[in-house]
Formats: sequence, structure tokens, C-alpha cells
Amino acid sequence: MARIDLRSSSLSTRLVVGSALLALLVAAAFGILVFAVTTLDDATKRERHAKALTSQTLQLEKLVLDLDTGLRGYVLTGKRDFLEPWTSARKALPAKLRRFRRLASASPAERQRATTLVDQIRQYVQYYAEPVVQITTTTPAASRTDIVRQEGARELADIRAGFASFLAKENALASARTSAAQRRSELAIITAVGGLVASALLITGFGLYFARSIARPVREVADGATRLAGGDLTTRLEPHGVGEVAELTEAFNRMAERLEASRRELEDQNRRLRESERAKSELVSVVAHELRTPLASVLGFTSVLLQRDVTAEQRREYLGIIEAQARRLGALVNDFLDVQRLEEGKLSISKELVDMGSVVREQTELFAGQSPKHLLDVSLPKTPLPVHGDSNRLAQVVANLLSNAIKYSPQGGVVRVAGQRKNGVIRVSVSDQGVGIPAELQREIFGKFVRGHATAAGIEGSGLGLAISRSLVEAHGGNIDFESRQGQGSTFWFEIPTAAPG
Amino acid sequence: MSAQPETAAKRVLICEDDTNLRTLVRLALGDGYRYYEAPDGPSGLELARRIHPDVIVLDLMLPGQSGLDVLAELRADHDLAKTPVIVMSAWSHSDEAAVQAGADRFVPKPFDPDELRNAVLALLEDDGPD
Repeated sequence: MARIDLRSSSLSTRLVVGSALLALLVAAAFGILVFAVTTLDDATKRERHAKALTSQTLQLEKLVLDLDTGLRGYVLTGKRDFLEPWTSARKALPAKLRRFRRLASASPAERQRATTLVDQIRQYVQYYAEPVVQITTTTPAASRTDIVRQEGARELADIRAGFASFLAKENALASARTSAAQRRSELAIITAVGGLVASALLITGFGLYFARSIARPVREVADGATRLAGGDLTTRLEPHGVGEVAELTEAFNRMAERLEASRRELEDQNRRLRESERAKSELVSVVAHELRTPLASVLGFTSVLLQRDVTAEQRREYLGIIEAQARRLGALVNDFLDVQRLEEGKLSISKELVDMGSVVREQTELFAGQSPKHLLDVSLPKTPLPVHGDSNRLAQVVANLLSNAIKYSPQGGVVRVAGQRKNGVIRVSVSDQGVGIPAELQREIFGKFVRGHATAAGIEGSGLGLAISRSLVEAHGGNIDFESRQGQGSTFWFEIPTAAPG
Repeated sequence: MSAQPETAAKRVLICEDDTNLRTLVRLALGDGYRYYEAPDGPSGLELARRIHPDVIVLDLMLPGQSGLDVLAELRADHDLAKTPVIVMSAWSHSDEAAVQAGADRFVPKPFDPDELRNAVLALLEDDGPD
């Protein structure tokens, strides 16, 4: 759990936690060292105490021996002079005993041993030595009996044995304590030095880790930024590192992505601008070309009429051509203007209630007289076909479809025109039995200046009619489409939402 | 129509998609020529190879095959490489391209009938009577 937390935590948290752990480790190592030194110091103190106790014990033993020597001399000689060591030793004894007891109090066992010894000495002095001195003073002979002498020797031997045992015990204890203290301090020193060495290694590792997790990724970001500045906007960094470094890498990648996206956008915009610029100049040049062709006829035939002698029949024929071509020019200019207005969204379309049935009927009547080869078959319901729209513009669409149907069936035939109400829309369709639309042209047939093989077939037109019709139908909220098979004719249809009744 | 024997009449191939303009070319040049007409590139080339015309009036904006391509094929054809070609076009900037492709004259549309006739006469004179 803690490991997962650490892994997801930030670099600064890791730095702080790592430093704190290392500080604790170093502190612990120092603590153990201090403990080792204290242990050694303690051992020294104990040793000093043991020495002092031993010395006191020896002094006490000597005092007891002095007591005994004085007593023995006095008993043997009966002379007071010989009692001198006894007297001085007896005087010094209580203080010595107190001192001894005070020193021998390191443990209850030691105290117990000291008490036993002290009791032994007291007993000897109180119940043997002092009575013997007393007896020697009053009846010297009584004190020289074997019983008295043996009793003293026995008690003294006991005391000396007690001393020997006490000293032996003290020595054993002191050496045991010293070696234990030495072992502890050795262990502590080894542990502390080990801890310090481990700390040193860990600090080095810690430094390496941070060098690796900060310096290297930062170097990579710097290199990436240099590449980015050099124009390589596809530069991306491997997402590694932790915390803030990972954030830096991610932010760098986001920045590069944004830069690349905005450059792409700019390039797209530029390309679109260039394209529209190219399309515009192409349109201008196409318009000029399309206008010059009928103009050539108009000017050419005019000049023939002006310069040549022609028959009345020829004059009529040439004037007919001039009139038709001039009309074609006018229609072309209107088409170009419509296309431009539609493209700029400036074509105004009035929205009034229009009966599509009447529009279809009127246009069919207009076209019916134009081509003797074609039979126009109109199929309309008896009820009106109401839509909201611009009757002139809707008439333009129907006229365009009718004109195409006639133009693209040069052999003649039946042109079927139908209007019907269907699922909330008014649908108008115009079918011919003409040349049809080649498959490769079907996709772009609603584009501008798309004429297919019309020119080759001698079919006139600007190539703008369907482009205009589609824009007009869409401006009425409708759609336009077709079905066609090459050589078998085409059916063009459009649908416009029915006007709500009332 | 003409008093000249048929063999003497120069043959003019008009390669142009607009019917009215073909008529106009005929009117501009007058009755002294024998005319052959083609509404597109492939049929124009086919006709040229068959009849070896004395002069070709070629439109640039032709359906199926551009006038420049037709010109290139004419120039590549051993029999037609020297035939005088007058290029007519409503593309006002195509004169240079036409001359580079091997056109002898460039007449912009709309054209003056007299200018066209003079151009044809000049080319036929250069060519000399054959």
C-alpha cells in the first residue's frame, strides 16, 4: 500500500521521504555509537568500583589481622604494650566496616555477602576477641588455655576464608561484567559502522536515482525542445519519469501536439485559400472562354452581313444565328451571376405559397412547342402541390431539367414529367429516353462546367444548369438527385417539403 | 459553285466543335476552297490522314482530345508535319503554347473573317503551288 502511494506520489514527496529515511538511518547509527561509548564508560566505572571494593576488602582484612595480632601478643605476654595494634584497629574498625558496606552494595547478592562477612567480623570481635581481652586483663592464665586459642584460630580462619571467597566472587563478577561490556560495545560499534556504511551507500544510490529520474528526462526535454525549435513538430518524448518530471514530459508532448495541429490548420487554410484563388481565376478564364464562343458567332456573322452581298434567305439565316447566340450570351451572363450569388449566399429567395403543379404545367407548355421530335407527357394530380418558395426560381429548376431532357435526347422520344405529393414532400421528376450519363461523370454531374460529351454531341449549354438547380432546391430545403443509364436515358427528380395546409 | 477544276481547289480542314463557327470559317474563306469539317479531335486527325489537306483550321477547346494534342500528333506524322495549321481559340493566353506546339498562325476568337482569310492566303502562298 505504502509502496503504491510512493510510486504515484510526486518527485518532491519522494525526495522528502527519502531524505527523512536516510536522516533517520544516520541518526540511528550515531545513536548506536553513542550507546557503545556509554557502555564502555559504564564498564570503566564498574571496574573502578570493583578495584575500590577490592582495596577496601584487603584493608579490612589487614585490620582484622591487626586485631588478631594485637590480641594474640597480649594474651601471650600479658603486657599492655602488645595490645597496641588491637586498640588502634578496634578504633578504626566501625568506620572501615561502614565504608566496606557502603561500597559493597552494587547488587543484593553482593550486599548479602558483605553483610555475612561483616557479621562474622562483628561476632569475632564481640563474642571472642573482646571477652578474651577482658579475661586476659583479670585472669591471664585462663586466656592461655588451648580451648580459647583454638576457638580464636578457628574463627579467624573462617573470616579469612570469607574474605577469600568474597574477593574471588568480586573478581569473577568484575571480569564477567567487563567482558560483557566489551562484547556489547564491540557489537554496537560494528552495528553503527555498518549503519554508517549503509547510509553512505544509500545516499549515493539516492543521488544516482535522482540524477537518473530528473537530470536524464530534463536532458531529453531540452533536446526535444531544440528539435521542436528547429521545426520538427512531430517531436514527441517517451512518457517516463515520475511526478513532476512525467508532468513536464506530458506537457511537452501536449505542446508539441498543439503546435503541430495549429500548423496543420494553417497549412489547410493556406491550401484552401490557394484552391479558392485558383478556382476563382479558373472561373474567370472559363467565363471569358464561354462568352467568346457565342460572341465569335455574333461578331463574325455581323461582319459577314456588313461586308458581303448576301441573299435575303442567307441574311435571315445569319440574323437568326446572331439572335440565338446573343440570347445564349445573355443566358450565360445570367447563369454566371446566379452561380456567383448562390456561392456568396446573396441570392434572395422569396417564400410564398406556390403550387408546384402550376409551375410544372406552365414550363411544360413553354417547352412543348420547341422540339417537334419530343413528346412531353405530363402527369399531375388534380389537387394542388403546395410548397413555400420562389415561383420564378422553382420554374428555373423545372425549365433546366426539361431543357436537359430535350437536349440530351437528340433522337427525340418521350419526356415524362410528373408531380406528386409523397410523405410530406412534393416530388417533381423529369425522365428522358436520351443518351444518359456516363458512369464516370455521375459523381460530378452537379458540379460547375460539367458537360460530359455534350460539346462533342453539339449540345449547347454553360455546364452551370444543374449546379444552379441544386443550389436553388437546397435553398428551398429540398434535395435533388437522379438515376441514369448510359444509352437508356436519365430521370432527374427533386423534392421540396410540402407547405403546411392553411 | 467554282469555275476551277476540282483538283485545283485547295482543301481546307476545319476542326471546330461549334457548328456556327464552322459555317463562319467557310464564309470567311469564301467559295474558292474545298471544305472538310470535323467536330472533334479524333475525327479531325482521321480526316487529315486520309485527305492530306492544304491547310488546317484548328480549334483548341475540342471535346475528347485537346487541339494541342491534335497539333502534336499532326506534327509527329511524317505526311502532315509540314501542313500549315491555323489555331483558333477563345483562350486568349494559349497563343504561345499553340506556336510552341507547331502552329503556323494563332487567331483569337472572336475572329475577324478578313484576318482569317488573309492568314490562310499567306500560308498557302508561302507553301507555294504544288
